[in-house]
Amino acid sequence: MAEKPKEGTFVFEPATSSPVGSVLYNEHLKLTDKSHIAEFAGYLMPLWYSSIAEEHSAVRQRAGMFDCTHMGALEVAGPNAESFLDAVTTNNVRALQVGSAQYSYLLDAAGNILDDIIIYRREKEKFMVVVNASNEPKAKAYLAALNAGKAIIDLAKPDRRIKAAPVRDMRNTKSGPDCRVDIAVQGPSSPDVLCKLADTSVGQQLKNLKSFTFCQAKLASIDCIISRTGYTGAKVCFELFVHPKDAAKLWQKLIDAGALPCGLGARDSLRVEAGLPLYGHELAGPYNISPFEAGYGWAVKLDKEFFIGKSAMDKISKTYKMKVARLELSGEKGVRPVRQNDAIICDGICVGWILSSATAGTRQIAIVYMDKDVATEGNSVDVYYLARSESQVSKGRKQAVKKSEQINGDITGKVVSRFEKF
Amino acid sequence: MIPKELLYTKDHEWAKIEGDIAVIGITDHAQNQLGELTFVELPDVGKEIKQKGELAVVESSKAASDVYSPVTGKVIEANAKLEKNPEIVNDDCYGAGWICKIQITDKGVLQNLIDATQYEIYLKGL
Repeated sequence: MAEKPKEGTFVFEPATSSPVGSVLYNEHLKLTDKSHIAEFAGYLMPLWYSSIAEEHSAVRQRAGMFDCTHMGALEVAGPNAESFLDAVTTNNVRALQVGSAQYSYLLDAAGNILDDIIIYRREKEKFMVVVNASNEPKAKAYLAALNAGKAIIDLAKPDRRIKAAPVRDMRNTKSGPDCRVDIAVQGPSSPDVLCKLADTSVGQQLKNLKSFTFCQAKLASIDCIISRTGYTGAKVCFELFVHPKDAAKLWQKLIDAGALPCGLGARDSLRVEAGLPLYGHELAGPYNISPFEAGYGWAVKLDKEFFIGKSAMDKISKTYKMKVARLELSGEKGVRPVRQNDAIICDGICVGWILSSATAGTRQIAIVYMDKDVATEGNSVDVYYLARSESQVSKGRKQAVKKSEQINGDITGKVVSRFEKF
Repeated sequence: MIPKELLYTKDHEWAKIEGDIAVIGITDHAQNQLGELTFVELPDVGKEIKQKGELAVVESSKAASDVYSPVTGKVIEANAKLEKNPEIVNDDCYGAGWICKIQITDKGVLQNLIDATQYEIYLKGL
């Protein structure tokens, strides 16, 4: 019998359908072999074009660009938009200025993270909410349920309601004229790339754009929302939100201007190197990791009068014992790479597990979930490799290590700062 | 791209039969799917292996993949260069990137392998 979900849990059964090409699918086929394209969150997306290492280094040294047209973009508008989003998300929407963006969480009443999101305030009463591709159907269904008064928002006050605010899928060209999909341009020379496509005045505006702010301007005569946001850890980074019909044209212009197309492989290795969380790995997921453990307690405003999931967050903020940390290990050729679920060992005892890992140059970076009291920067910890094959199992290598189990590690790493900027 | 003189498995290993000895490696399709290799776990010399038995593990930063033996026999040599330079498999999978040599003890099972033409057709169907 299935376990009954905690009270206040938003239950969502995703529809199954075969994957579709992203808006830029034909562009990818021009650049890479079909064997480098794989399904991700219902879309056929490029894993890499040249190589993960080359694309990773392009973003660190120059400028890389990513097809993020699979990311969800929802518009919440109208007189109730601000109060609706302020109640539905954890960060302070009332304090968000027009032209600024804010990292936040969508929780249900039980405190489960439904998604981590970025909210862009375009006008006083018009917001764009960017959600993960893998969570988009769930996020849409949840907002619709809230608007219909069909989801519990407060366990202590079951009759509590929020004033509805219309939600529009901005990627759907049938939803209205103002449609948007995301193309990210990231890395130190990304301003040069964009300036080649912009008027002088727009170029100046882009150079002055601060982190987590945005403007609306033309690049190569294409109307864009240009925001200083990203998912690579680059200090200089942009996301361009354009009409789907213009996406392929802009993509080609960006290539001509010097941006290197990068696939999902580099997107993952860059975000891991920077310590950025991925929903399902460093947030929620099998370990049910909270924003506080992930290092994003600042995005959960417990001093707000109300938001959905607040009582659960209140409790977790005072009781959590483990946290997400970043680990650096040798990534020289010939060193066996660490992998998800490999055990973190401190003084011969398992204190946690690897959530994600990546090779960056000659080092490996792992994002790990481990005991808070030993996750101090500079601490040495070991990693135990779980069995990678049946023959290793038959030689005695374990397939899982439990918390507090006594075991010796195989490779030593060092806890480094939670995040790194490049 | 697919050398004519080799035999293949549907798991993307190749075998070059030289009398009683088989040289074993992974195909271009396999190395391309894995991306840049960062680690190869070589079999111990002397290991006795059956066809389809686990022979080696190749790992990139994205995936770990088992290499299954195309033949039945005993490992007589492993390509130690791959320990320090696993990327040789990416650069030259049918040549310098060979994984090991096996003394074949049962030639009968070679009939389970497919030739270059069959392998090419198989790849197209994937």
